[in-house]
Amino acid sequence: MPESKLFDDEFMNRLNYLNIVSKHMIPGHLHGEHRAKKKTDSGIEFADYRQYVSGEDTKNVDWRTFLRLDKLVLRMFEEDADLPIYIFFDCSKSMDHGDPSKYDFARKIAAALAYIGLLNHDRVSLVGFADGIAQEMSARKGKTQIWRAFNFLESVEAGGETSMLKAFRNFFSARRRRGLVVVVSDFLDETGWDKAFDMLRFYKQDLFAVHVYTTDEEHPDLPDEVLLEDAESGNTERIKVTPGLLDAYAEVFAEHCEEVNAYCRKNGYGYVRCDTELPFEDLILRVFRQGRFLG
Amino acid sequence: MSFLSLSPAMAGLLLAATAASVVVLYWLKPPPKRVVVPSNLLWNRLLREKKKKTFLDRLRWWISLLIAIAIGLSVATALGRPELGSGDNEIRDITVVIDNSATMATRSSDGYTRWEHAVNEARELLQQGSAGGRFLIVDTAGQAPPTEASDRGSALEVLEGLNVSLGGESQFPMLAASDGELYFVSDGVMVDDVPPEAIIVSVFEAADNVGITAFEIRSVPVSPLEYQAFLEVTNASPGPKDVSIRISGSGGGRLGEDITLQPGESQGRTINLSSFDRGPVRVAVTSDADAFVADDYAFSFLPVRNRTVVVLVSPGSIYLESLLLIEPRVAVDFKTPQEYAAGVPADVYIFDRWAPPTPPPGPALLFLPPDVSWLVPTLEIVESPEVMGWNAAHTLLQFVSLEDLRVDRAARISPLASTDGSADLADIIVGSPSLPLIVATENPEKVLRVSFALEESNFPLQPGFPIFISNALSWMMDEQVALTSVPGRVEVPLAAATVVDLEGNEMVTWTVADRTVFVADEPGLYTAARGTRRLRVAVNLADRERSAVNATSFGAGVQAASISQPLGAAQPAGWGDELWILLLTIATLLVIVEWFTYHRRLTV
Repeated sequence: MPESKLFDDEFMNRLNYLNIVSKHMIPGHLHGEHRAKKKTDSGIEFADYRQYVSGEDTKNVDWRTFLRLDKLVLRMFEEDADLPIYIFFDCSKSMDHGDPSKYDFARKIAAALAYIGLLNHDRVSLVGFADGIAQEMSARKGKTQIWRAFNFLESVEAGGETSMLKAFRNFFSARRRRGLVVVVSDFLDETGWDKAFDMLRFYKQDLFAVHVYTTDEEHPDLPDEVLLEDAESGNTERIKVTPGLLDAYAEVFAEHCEEVNAYCRKNGYGYVRCDTELPFEDLILRVFRQGRFLG
Repeated sequence: MSFLSLSPAMAGLLLAATAASVVVLYWLKPPPKRVVVPSNLLWNRLLREKKKKTFLDRLRWWISLLIAIAIGLSVATALGRPELGSGDNEIRDITVVIDNSATMATRSSDGYTRWEHAVNEARELLQQGSAGGRFLIVDTAGQAPPTEASDRGSALEVLEGLNVSLGGESQFPMLAASDGELYFVSDGVMVDDVPPEAIIVSVFEAADNVGITAFEIRSVPVSPLEYQAFLEVTNASPGPKDVSIRISGSGGGRLGEDITLQPGESQGRTINLSSFDRGPVRVAVTSDADAFVADDYAFSFLPVRNRTVVVLVSPGSIYLESLLLIEPRVAVDFKTPQEYAAGVPADVYIFDRWAPPTPPPGPALLFLPPDVSWLVPTLEIVESPEVMGWNAAHTLLQFVSLEDLRVDRAARISPLASTDGSADLADIIVGSPSLPLIVATENPEKVLRVSFALEESNFPLQPGFPIFISNALSWMMDEQVALTSVPGRVEVPLAAATVVDLEGNEMVTWTVADRTVFVADEPGLYTAARGTRRLRVAVNLADRERSAVNATSFGAGVQAASISQPLGAAQPAGWGDELWILLLTIATLLVIVEWFTYHRRLTV
């Protein structure tokens, strides 16, 4: 792989470190076991019993139990299944803000999660979205696909407005397997991020929302009178900055974050807020602690 | 409210311009800074909620503008030096004549001088006037500049610039007729002729004073090489006083005497100074609770007392020979022109109708000298010249009258046509520039040239001739008793001289005609020098009138100032007097408020 600015050696070392740490965090996380196991009537590993229903194949009837209890029960087995992981990262213009920029931070998060997923033999899809799907890397499996994923992430440029709903509609209108949808975004979506999440709920996808923002975005340092220009639309708003206004803005920002968090909590989805000034390792470990990726 | 520095129209214009400038500056605020944010989504949501609060935002702007205008108006108003009216609408013009004669330096029982009380009273009188009135401060010593009545601030400035004048004449000034009120603040001691319309404010309080009313050093008439001092001490106190007199001089000479003086009594002393060396002599008197210091000490100068060796070179002059023989200070050596040889040692050389071809090694007195290279040539011989005038103030003519001087024949010389460029040092003692009869020069030795022969005039027959010769010898030996003067403006008969006091501090001087003038604020011995010539001036109060600090002419009916009120605890000026201070304080507070609220985004 050519020398990369975004995913340099230091970043790779961090990922390796995170991979090792993640295995210690979740006992039994070895050999690429999957979180979703399907109970079938064939397989090697016994999982459970269930009541026999008339008309079913009798090859899995446990006759020993029938003789002992005089009941027909079927033996069920677990079958390993790979987990589709759809990683959506926001590449709208609003993400190209801050130092370090939210966009670079989001891509690093996406890269880290893709790395973990591929190491766990999951099928990882990477989707850059803005006003719809900007670029997409189709599902990949196996750790050999890691460099491809990194190359893809580096190739996507930030730009355009945000419409998460349009992106999800485009993506999931094609038949997709149920899996884990990771959305890395600032959720500053005029069309409504909640509508987009409703669509995921409709498709019965699991969701993990990573909310990226900068400290400057949470507590802006503005002069007394300022012309605010929207990075995406170019619209301007002239305001007179007062301590009260800044406090009110901080409240609105907190409300915005809490709304996303509340939606996820209500629907059993994962949610993590991350300031771009947070150490990257801490952030990923917080994601792991949510328990959705590992174990 | 009125303004001390500005007319009402100017003040209004200044305030309007200030307010307009502040408002314009507010409108000319720089355009807002453009800041790119990721999204206006949250800001729009916030501003929708805040729309109802825009009135408060507008109020903030107005509050900020009003604070800025208030700051500007406060500073502008303070520049106009405003004052509040005294309450009555009547315009009062006030003239205050303040006495700054010597006795005003007398200290009162509260520790402050009569002068300090007088200034306080004058200030109070000025403050009592109406805001729009006109005020004038005049003093009895002529220190105040001759101005017309103006605003109170200018009058107060004049008042602050005045001080006690120990010397000089004090008199009630001539004032233009006015309808205003006339006050005279004084102790009533030295100023008479107070007009009846003047309202007298007395700062008199009886005080103790023992002072030196005379002090002079003179040679003993019967023995000119010896000097003695005459001292007079006067008790001007209401009661008897024990007085200690101490005289000190160069060479460690000291004399002392303790005496008792009854009220009004003066005692004179003649003091033998034989134990004193050449140099300054200081006398001081001390007594208990003395309230007037300026007359407690006096100075003079004791000259040298060596016998002067004089060489008289003359073909024969009965007048000079006779006079020099009886002059006790002189050891005379008579020589004819043939006997004179350059290098004859002497303190003074006198050449009568003859002059050597080269200058003598010391000071010289010449009578009708012939033309030689080192003297100004004779232009012509004038028959029966008229004596046009003489410099009576010059040391050489001290106690010499020339009223009856007649000259038969005189040489006309031009003192400006000096051969060596030293004409600027020529001093015409007798005669006019067109016909100088006696001329003194110093280059570098002193030369006194008389342009006529004694035998061709009646000068030797004048009573002042011996005195003139004595003065000439003293002048040429540069040892004279000190000139005397009172404190104040002192004139020295020496042009463009530098003047130093006893400590060597150089005084500020200026030249008026052929004199040097300086101001001596207090008694002392001053030395004026130009080239090798030195004159000493003993500046002493030494005046019975000035020492009589209790000789007030004010009767019992005179309005007395509140002497008992301690000046040190004087009340601070009211805001009505110094309104500009209040305004600047307000402006400062408003700046602090604006700074505080601005940094907390309470104002814009």
